[in-house]
Amino acid sequence: MGEVSKSVSASAQRLGRLSRPRRAVSAYPYLSILPALLIIALVSVYPLFFALDLSLHRNVLTEPLSHPYVGLQNFAETFGSYYFLRALGRTLQFTALIIAGTICYGVAVGLYLNRPGRLPGIARVAILLPWAIPTVMAAIIWRWIFNGTYGALNAVLAEAGLISSYVSWLGSPTLAPLTLVVTHIWKWGPLAAIMCLATLQVIPRDLYEAATIDGGGRWAAFRHITLPFLRPTVLLLLILETIGGFVTFDLIYVLTGGGPADATTMLAWFAYAEIFRFLNLGKGAAMAFIIAAITFGLALIYVRLLRSEEMYAG
Amino acid sequence: MKGRLLACLAVLFLTVNTIPPLPAVQAAPQVSLNFMVWTFAIDTINDNIKKFQQRHPNVNVRLVDYNWGQYPDTIIANFVSGSNAPDVLYSSDHWLQQWAAAGWIVPLDDYFPQITQMAKTFSKYAVEGMSYNGKIYGLPYYADPMAFFYNDAILKKAGITKPPATWEELLQQARTIKQKGLVQYPIGFGFSQQEPFSIEVFISMVYSRGGNLFDKDQNPVFNRPGSALVQTIAWIRDAMRAGVMHPESLQWDGVQAGNAMRAGQQVFSISRASALASFNDPKQAKDAGHFKIALMPGSTHETVGFVRFYAMSSQVPKRGKEALEAAWNFLNYFGGPGADNSYPVVRRWALDFGLGFAQEPLFKDKDILASFGKWVDVPLLQRIGSRYARVKQGLTPWFAQWDVFARAELQRAYLGQITPDQAAANLAAKWNELRRK
Repeated sequence: MGEVSKSVSASAQRLGRLSRPRRAVSAYPYLSILPALLIIALVSVYPLFFALDLSLHRNVLTEPLSHPYVGLQNFAETFGSYYFLRALGRTLQFTALIIAGTICYGVAVGLYLNRPGRLPGIARVAILLPWAIPTVMAAIIWRWIFNGTYGALNAVLAEAGLISSYVSWLGSPTLAPLTLVVTHIWKWGPLAAIMCLATLQVIPRDLYEAATIDGGGRWAAFRHITLPFLRPTVLLLLILETIGGFVTFDLIYVLTGGGPADATTMLAWFAYAEIFRFLNLGKGAAMAFIIAAITFGLALIYVRLLRSEEMYAG
Repeated sequence: MKGRLLACLAVLFLTVNTIPPLPAVQAAPQVSLNFMVWTFAIDTINDNIKKFQQRHPNVNVRLVDYNWGQYPDTIIANFVSGSNAPDVLYSSDHWLQQWAAAGWIVPLDDYFPQITQMAKTFSKYAVEGMSYNGKIYGLPYYADPMAFFYNDAILKKAGITKPPATWEELLQQARTIKQKGLVQYPIGFGFSQQEPFSIEVFISMVYSRGGNLFDKDQNPVFNRPGSALVQTIAWIRDAMRAGVMHPESLQWDGVQAGNAMRAGQQVFSISRASALASFNDPKQAKDAGHFKIALMPGSTHETVGFVRFYAMSSQVPKRGKEALEAAWNFLNYFGGPGADNSYPVVRRWALDFGLGFAQEPLFKDKDILASFGKWVDVPLLQRIGSRYARVKQGLTPWFAQWDVFARAELQRAYLGQITPDQAAANLAAKWNELRRK
């Protein structure tokens, strides 16, 4: 007992001695992360509050001396705008198409790449090339391909006898949005395929063997084994593509410029036009918040779905 | 001997100390000018700068160029950020009012009163295009009327003897050319939403029908039933529906529409008159020599005359007298007659690139007349410029924003998504909204 009390008092003395340096040590982690926090505050938090401030004022570049506070007027005007609602509708259409297209592409190509053989092996490397190309470059390439006068696509289709005269892919309000979808899938589909491939490679082979022994066909194996394993990856792609759809700007900028008419005017382009064409920073900032709120809301829904999937899987 | 030497040294000492020293040559202070342009013939601009600096060694000009399509956006961003603002820059009648109202560029006649006299030698439409609130904001870089182009060779193949005098006749000729299988889409314009020229093409079409966009108080008149604007939209829509106007027109800029003409894939177009120089260059077009200009089809044949000019930013006066002097020397050399009355830069643009000009004395320059005569009917060009060219109506601080809105709205009407009357009503509503704000 005496040994124990000695030991305790020695510890207490040691603690007492250490109490001052311990306070210094406890401040150390905060000091360590302070530079990073300051940088984040500078590049993220400050711009966020600055943008919020902008959105609550009338701020037009051509009136540099007048920035009256307008409350939520910029938001109200945006929601009440016929052109905003059209842009929202087009964004939803585009997002739905790229989600479906990219996921289908990713799963199909992932399944192909998961097969043994030399060709899938080579394809695994080659497939990533479009993903490695900067988006602006990809858009420029596709602008040439879709050109209605001398584009490669028209030449190939005409040569194959599928069209009698050249089609104006970018000049048609029906076809121009589809050119954006095709270019997006070409650019981002490879990433989806590699993500699906990574998931497919961890599915135990014996599950498929068991399914075969039980008399299950290829479709049954795909539906009951492959798809459940792929579901978390697909949900992740769903989130990425939803955000991607709502913030797509560079493709529009290079490929269609929002036209013809407003056929490819989506929310991100609409916000850009409000800021840089109409020089209305206040309304542009309000739109940026609206886009962020929509994508954040959708992401939350997906994350909840993803969590429920994880619980299900667990 | 020793005494004589001492005496010589004494005299030398006195001489050195009594002769007053020569006054120190005061070098003119070095002044730098940030010169921002859209990308066109950068080598030539650099050479012009080099020659200017040889005449004015105390001025250091730093050239920055931006893509034409993104030029106004980039310049505005530069002005707003303030970190990379220009001193002297290219501007256009499109943007003048907006930039002047924001205080980014300044009236030249406030600082250089000699401009008022010089402006009397410029074409009227160019002076109007460079003026805001009665003040002159620039010296012309180039100025041109918008002109109607046609390919004479294809017209002859189709058995057509003269260019169309009315819009209806144009439609008829295009149908004939298409039916004969000569060209699939005989008509094409640079109507892209990114193309600042698109509104100039459109307004020219309105003017040629005798139409106006606004009254003298800047109230829209184009939204009246049956207005020239409504007729023009309906004409373009009909041309597209008839399959005689290239559907890519809605995505083409002026260069792409010009390429289609040069490639012989198109017969009729509207562009700045000086673009004809490249059309009739055998190195650039297989039908060179067969491209002609004509009066704009329509009842009045009127068209838009536009001006691109050298402007001075508001930061130059803040930098003081030396900067102002350097800016004036620069502006006079590039957009004016220069110190020796030779129009060194304007003349070069005209001779080497066929660019149109507003400096009327140059219409008497024998070299220019001979050079232009190789690719254009010079008397007709002069007649269009002096008699039919009008400045764009509605040049106000909100014109640039309205123009951007109009480009998309007009396309919706061309495509039949809305009626011409609806488009006119929407354009008027936007105009009034921008004006109110």
